[in-house]
Amino acid sequence: MVAARASHWKAPLLVATLPLPPAAVGTPAVEVLDLSHRYASAAGEVVALEHASLRVAAGEFVSIVGPSGCGKTTLLRAVAGLLAPSGGEVRVLGGAPRDAQRAHALGLVTQDPGLLPWRSVEANVRLPLEITGATADVSALLERVGIARFARYRPGQLSGGMRQRVALARALAHGPRLLLMDEPFGALDELSREDLRLELLALWERERIAVLFVTHAIHEAVLLSDRVVVMSGSPGRVAADIAIDLPRPRTDDLISTPRFVALDAEVRAALRGSAPATRGAR
Amino acid sequence: MARATTDRPASRADVSDLPNLDVRRASGSRDPLLLTLLPAIVVVAIIGGWEAWVRIAQVKRYLLPAPSEVARALAAEPLRYLDAAATSLGAALGGLLIATLGAFALGVVMAHSRALERALYPPALLLKVMPIVAVYPLFLIWFGFGIWPRVLIAALITFFPVLVNTVIGLRSIDPQAHDFLRALHASRSQIFWRLRLPSSLPYLFAALRISVPLSLIGAVVAEFLSGASGMGQLILVANGDFDTPALFGAVIVLATMGVSLTVGISYLERRVLDWHDSYRGV
Ligand SMILES: Nc1ncnc2c1ncn2[C@@H]1O[C@H](COP(=O)(O)OP(=O)(O)OP(=O)(O)O)[C@@H](O)[C@H]1O
Ligand SMILES: [Mg+2]
Repeated sequence: MVAARASHWKAPLLVATLPLPPAAVGTPAVEVLDLSHRYASAAGEVVALEHASLRVAAGEFVSIVGPSGCGKTTLLRAVAGLLAPSGGEVRVLGGAPRDAQRAHALGLVTQDPGLLPWRSVEANVRLPLEITGATADVSALLERVGIARFARYRPGQLSGGMRQRVALARALAHGPRLLLMDEPFGALDELSREDLRLELLALWERERIAVLFVTHAIHEAVLLSDRVVVMSGSPGRVAADIAIDLPRPRTDDLISTPRFVALDAEVRAALRGSAPATRGAR
Repeated sequence: MARATTDRPASRADVSDLPNLDVRRASGSRDPLLLTLLPAIVVVAIIGGWEAWVRIAQVKRYLLPAPSEVARALAAEPLRYLDAAATSLGAALGGLLIATLGAFALGVVMAHSRALERALYPPALLLKVMPIVAVYPLFLIWFGFGIWPRVLIAALITFFPVLVNTVIGLRSIDPQAHDFLRALHASRSQIFWRLRLPSSLPYLFAALRISVPLSLIGAVVAEFLSGASGMGQLILVANGDFDTPALFGAVIVLATMGVSLTVGISYLERRVLDWHDSYRGV
């Protein structure tokens, strides 16, 4: 049923129309090679990223964890083509980030969701369709993220968790092939976080589009991801890349299994191992 | 719209980004009787006290006429006041309209380019600091004694507030919403109509609330200076005749005009920006 609906979406790229499961498509969703970025600010230059490299295969779920200020947002914005990095290369779906934008292949969810307050929930989700000319069943989309009841509400009338669901529906509306999420659940209370996390998990396991997911919650990264990329701070670089070999479909119950605990500890250790330089400096 | 029902928080807003005018206000007034009664009591008390004082202390008519006498002056020649009010109102609103359209158009240009903003700001500032009393004679020479010099004075005096607020408003966009649209390769005009323009409306209304009384002042001062018909002339004549009741009548008419216009703008603002306070309140 989901697949049938997906076929109504305007295929963003030729590849999407091939009768192949996304995971079998050869082009990686994201390739970041030796990415460096410096911000020029009044106080001088800030090195946000230095020689960071990572890769997201088609249909893969990759999380980035790292201390605050290590350049996660910078990296994600470079992948989205919102920022021209000072060095290195970013390839998205085999082309430049700008080409991915042009192909309407990107979906973006940020911590502060950036919904349009004057539009209803439904109209917010329709926004990417207006921009791209794609068509989608908006009410089915709202149903899928559990906000159909609120279709006519304004964002200001919703809780933070509901707003984040709207943002997710909006990011998926035009049928992107790469979902970029920057601490999407960061501002939510623990219960809403948990709900949304499990729903994202279920959603992704059905659709299998590539996801690059930034989070501060280690167990969240382990539960959701195929791989967890650990970044270290100042200047930001990739410290570890840990494969999460937990079986799918995954559920909440996994959290107490020995394998999950071991992976969680491994990510935590990589994060700690990456941190001392930063901590010592403060 | 067949599907619109009364209990929906948004009806037309879900289709268009130009905010709707027929949304039901969610917030009710607290104790409406008290809210309307209290101001009325205050007004009655002031007028009653004034009347009593003038009668008891036998204040001279040309110094301070009793309210009853002012009312008699107004009632004696209502058409004269109405005529003058309509003339002044026409000049004021005509000027405001011209200024708003011109300043908004210029503001759009300036908001899109820092270079153009820098280039255009000094001449705009020149318009602001120019004393209208000094340029009015020039306008009389150029445009004659018709309504145009007055309209232009009203326009001149209201241009700057609208311009400044437009530029700030068009730039006050939510960066996350902007990123989302850019990641979809939205065009400048798509971003303008869907994000910038609606974001600027609260600022535009703030400018109008400042500009409405200013435009009235501009028109009346112009009539005052040239003796052209309107409230300014009425005041001039009453002043020459030591007709203090007529002067008070003119003041009351002008005050009523200013208050009505301000209330009208506020009403429109609440209707158009119903999303605004609800969003801020979260
Ligand atoms: N526009 C900017 N101008 C100057 N410096 C910036 C700018 N944006 C980010 N930085 C700096 O670049 C570094 C990386 O920032 P970035 O936002 O990418 O970190 P982050 O990993 O996303 O942090 P967090 O986990 O807190 O979101 C930080 O030191 C930050 O101060
Ligand atoms: Mg960040």
